[in-house]
Amino acid sequence: MKKEHEHKAKKYGMVIDLDKCTGCGACMVACMAENNVPFRADETDKLLSITWMRVYKLTNAMPFPKTEICYLPRPCMHCEGSHGHSPCVSVCPATATDYSEATGIVSQIYTRCFGCRYCMAACPYHARYFNWWDPVWPEGMEKYLSPNVSPRMRGIVEKCSFCFHRYQLAMEKAHYEGRHGLEEDEYQTSCTQACPAGAITFGDLNNPHHAVYKLKKSENAFRLLERLGTNPKVYYTSSRKWVRQAGDNYLRDEKDNVIDKSKFRN
Amino acid sequence: MSTSEEKTKEVSANADSDSGGAIILFFIIGFVASLIAGWIIFPKLLYCQKKQPIDFNHVLHMEEVDDGCESCHFFREDGTYAGVPKLEQCVGCHEEAVGEDPEEVKFVNEYVAKEREVPWLIYSKQPDCVFFSHAAHVKTAGMDCVTCHGPIGESTSLKVYEENWITGYSRDIWGQNMSGLKEHAWDRMKMDDCAECHVKNNVKQTSVQTKKGACFVCHK
Amino acid sequence: MKIDRRSFLSFIIGGAAGTALSPLPAKLTDDLSIWTQNWPWTPVPEDGEAIYADSVCTLCPGGCGISVRKIDDRAIKIEGMKGHPVNDGGICILGLSGLQLLYGPTRVKTPLKKTSNGGWKKISWDEAIAEVAENLGKLRSEGQPQALACISGSDQGTVPQLFRRFMTAYGSPNYMCVPSSQDSYSITLKLMQGAQASAGFDIENADFVLSLGSGIIEGWGSPVCMFKANSACEAKKGKVVQIEPRLSNTAAKADQWIPINPGTEGDLALGLAHLIIKDDLYDKDFVGNNTFGFDDWTDDKGKSCQGFRQFVLENYGPEKVAETTGIDADTLTSLAKSFASASNPVAICGRGQGKRPGSIHEFIAVHALNALKGSINRKGGVWAVPEPNYISWAEPETDAVAQKGLQTPRIDGAGTEKYPYTKSLLNRFAEVVGSEGESPVKMLFVSGANPCFTLPDTGAVKAAFENIPLVVSFSSYMDETAKAADLILPNHVFLERYEDVPPPAGVNKNVIGLSKPVVDPQFDTKHAGDAIISVAKALKGSVGSAFAWDSYEACLQETMGDKWDSLNEKGFVVPDTAPACEKTYTTPSGKFEFFAAGYEQVTIEGDEKWYPLILMPYDSMRLSSGFIGNPPFMTKTVEDTVLKGNDIVVEVNPLTVRESSALFVKDGDYAILSTPKGKATVRVHLSEGIMPGIVAMPTGLGHTAYDEYLAGKGTNFNELIGPVEDPASGLDAAWGIRAKLANIAS
Repeated sequence: MKKEHEHKAKKYGMVIDLDKCTGCGACMVACMAENNVPFRADETDKLLSITWMRVYKLTNAMPFPKTEICYLPRPCMHCEGSHGHSPCVSVCPATATDYSEATGIVSQIYTRCFGCRYCMAACPYHARYFNWWDPVWPEGMEKYLSPNVSPRMRGIVEKCSFCFHRYQLAMEKAHYEGRHGLEEDEYQTSCTQACPAGAITFGDLNNPHHAVYKLKKSENAFRLLERLGTNPKVYYTSSRKWVRQAGDNYLRDEKDNVIDKSKFRN
Repeated sequence: MSTSEEKTKEVSANADSDSGGAIILFFIIGFVASLIAGWIIFPKLLYCQKKQPIDFNHVLHMEEVDDGCESCHFFREDGTYAGVPKLEQCVGCHEEAVGEDPEEVKFVNEYVAKEREVPWLIYSKQPDCVFFSHAAHVKTAGMDCVTCHGPIGESTSLKVYEENWITGYSRDIWGQNMSGLKEHAWDRMKMDDCAECHVKNNVKQTSVQTKKGACFVCHK
Repeated sequence: MKIDRRSFLSFIIGGAAGTALSPLPAKLTDDLSIWTQNWPWTPVPEDGEAIYADSVCTLCPGGCGISVRKIDDRAIKIEGMKGHPVNDGGICILGLSGLQLLYGPTRVKTPLKKTSNGGWKKISWDEAIAEVAENLGKLRSEGQPQALACISGSDQGTVPQLFRRFMTAYGSPNYMCVPSSQDSYSITLKLMQGAQASAGFDIENADFVLSLGSGIIEGWGSPVCMFKANSACEAKKGKVVQIEPRLSNTAAKADQWIPINPGTEGDLALGLAHLIIKDDLYDKDFVGNNTFGFDDWTDDKGKSCQGFRQFVLENYGPEKVAETTGIDADTLTSLAKSFASASNPVAICGRGQGKRPGSIHEFIAVHALNALKGSINRKGGVWAVPEPNYISWAEPETDAVAQKGLQTPRIDGAGTEKYPYTKSLLNRFAEVVGSEGESPVKMLFVSGANPCFTLPDTGAVKAAFENIPLVVSFSSYMDETAKAADLILPNHVFLERYEDVPPPAGVNKNVIGLSKPVVDPQFDTKHAGDAIISVAKALKGSVGSAFAWDSYEACLQETMGDKWDSLNEKGFVVPDTAPACEKTYTTPSGKFEFFAAGYEQVTIEGDEKWYPLILMPYDSMRLSSGFIGNPPFMTKTVEDTVLKGNDIVVEVNPLTVRESSALFVKDGDYAILSTPKGKATVRVHLSEGIMPGIVAMPTGLGHTAYDEYLAGKGTNFNELIGPVEDPASGLDAAWGIRAKLANIAS
């Protein structure tokens, strides 16, 4: 066996342009369709509704007609924490969730998970969902299930994987063709690909040739709850200040202070 | 009374001297019986024997093809592995029976003529949560098929498929040796065997939790 | 030897020791742990070869190219097709959910006939076709071919045209299409430009978009194409101003949201025209050379007529317009300035997704605004996109019965002297058919439409359906209309059939697409084109001979002629013999014509005294409100401020509640919403994003048919509103209805 070639570690991440996001929900369904996410007759209790990618609606809380709305798609943030100790990975007693130093992706192994939901409590982004019920597809609908993602069972936690199976498949192709790395467009998440407004950009945050590398440095870029030190790999950009401020919990007297990003970024 | 007392004593004395032997005897009986149960009966009970729908002669086919295993077990253009051949590949030669082997005749009549796929039993079948890239191992790492699958290409007949009653997977995953010890790399196909080989071959260990291989390398 | 306690224990210990030295404990533990991971009732998707099959989505008139990922013969995911001229890789939420429609439980799996007790009986295709043909034959032999009516989802493409052809050959003029704002646009273009065309907006190249309520990123026209155009426009620093009473997603993403009193959009357009003309900011070159009726003019009889300039200057001063629209004069002035100073401004109307037609006067007023800046048939403007001309079949020969039938007047009054340019008036259907007494329609075909859900005053429509002796539905799904039908001849769904796709709605893209079968038909269904050909053939005579094709596929192939090969290969063609967007005007004056009279507002139904509020619908990308019902994935994404449990949630400004004496509700509380047409129990969401006095209700909910994932969720807006006839076109111009919100009596 040849020794695996040494490459600079990748850090896959996302930059979502909130100015472009229209709240249409295509990313949510693109995700569900790609990842065999089940559905139930009543999905209006949003705490129980499994949506790896969820679009939140933010408002500036101003009275009519100064009201503004901004939509914010929220996948798993794939937090790096410090040295890969993201909140959920640190607490998992079953080693069912893990952080890979090769890709920066936080994995969730369904067969390993025993459903203690400690990770859900630890995740500050509500990105994790528990299967309270067995997934049931109405007769015939199981035909559209993808073999690239294993369907989950009752009693376990699931979450966005940055469509990791697409990375696996892209790498498989690369191996077959004798390559050792991937081009930017070879590995894209389902939501990125589907977004009709082109709001989502995905790529290797460590790679200066990838679009995300530059976009994350925009002065309008921010991350959610940066002050917790979760070090997320999903960046947002918005030209609206109230939106950028909504990205973290600020005390009233802090509101006007411009966010000092340098403190929380590495 | 006294006699009866003596008798009792005698009996108990006998029992005393006897009981040491009996205890050992029973220990040995228990010990041997459980060893027999564990090593011989248990494996027999654990697996049900299944016959492949068609007996396949690898040797015979290897003589006919130019490209070794890859002639039939090939990679698709997208790098995925086609695995066990589908009927359409077999039909190329076996539109009609080319020989007189009853197995081939059965194959042609039962499957080719009826356009039914053969429900092969796959010795190396892994659970749904496992992702395995043949391309990474064969193309990049340059491994041989034999390393994991053993010299199956040298077989003239398909062995019995032993299905684990509890798990539903083939005996080949745990290995023929019930102790779990292996002689060859291909004797077992469990996760630990993958991990062991990865460590041995310096595959980057990227897990933060375990400092070993990260789960997403082989899971989906 | 006797087995006593000690030897028994010894036996056990020996057994334990032996067991420990056997592989049993380790192996059993391992096996059991694997066993705990086996959930045999959870499906394990079978692996196989992955391939992509390209096609075109026909779930809406958007015409997006799709790539369907397949594993062996299973379709597992629909993605947008890269490089397609309409959507270039993008895809909407409905398109993504398409496989749930293919494999879903709402499919009609075989032809069905309604039994006398209201149940369904499976019948064969031969029986179904024979039954339809027999009834059609009877109607014809009674000399009443005009008693057959047909409701089609669209007028374009070979399948609707086959139905139309059938109607002609059979002898009925009563072919009706589901209306949309494009009907209003085509009348507008006919009146002002003389064009037989639909309106195509080039948002991508506009630098100022004035949208009067159009949900340009909420599914208006060709949704993904509009999304992309909007993003492109914004990337080039183009401005979008959204004018509507509710903070819709389009308003939220626009550079500016200006709330307006609903129904006064036409006045706003004319008010802006006033300001632009007054300040001399209009495109003098275009107006001077290409238009008629701008300045005062004299007609053939020597009577002098007022021109558009004078008309707006006199009647639409900013103060007056500010009062009607509720937009202050300063805002009006700056809006007029921005519109006029842009180099490629464009104004667009047709509320929400543009599924409802509207007041022609409003459309004319908005179109006049475009003409003032010359944004007609030019980059970044509105294009008159001629109707596609690739279908050129010889007119069917009609026999005496058919000729007689065709001469009877249309039941809906479209195309009469009163409404010469209107093609069909489906809004009159319920009234014309009536709920009791003899119906002028004895037999009805419904294809590609779900009128029992999408037409206003749904209750009356359903009653009318009951009054029709034989309704034949060609729906693939058990929708409301199929449920109300007597016979269902289920069509293949879009992923199972061939069909041409006319150019996308609302945009200036000259593309013809081909929808191709991606998977084999899953059930015993038949292409609607084949079904109608079979019915015609079964009728024999002149009707049968009008359908000489062996099958729909043969018909399609012949129709497409030399385009077929490239269509089949690429999935779309961009015809080079462009139905070139007409630069010329075929009006009486040969120029673009302004109108200087008759701009009236449409009065909505209901008395303000009893109904102090106004109920308006709003469309959302996450709710399919057309003839396709919401697939489960889409319903899953619906916010809990739209649907909570099975309750529909309406949006109301907190002020509306505060100022009302009859309503005391907190956010999420129940209330009774009543309109002159009906009543519904709703939950109230207090939102600052809506004008006080208005109740906004989502469309697309309240299905009574389909499956447990859709039926019984919320209220159908169409049950609470009735049509209001536009005086100029006869089309439905109701943009809302008066309403009342009251507490639930405790």
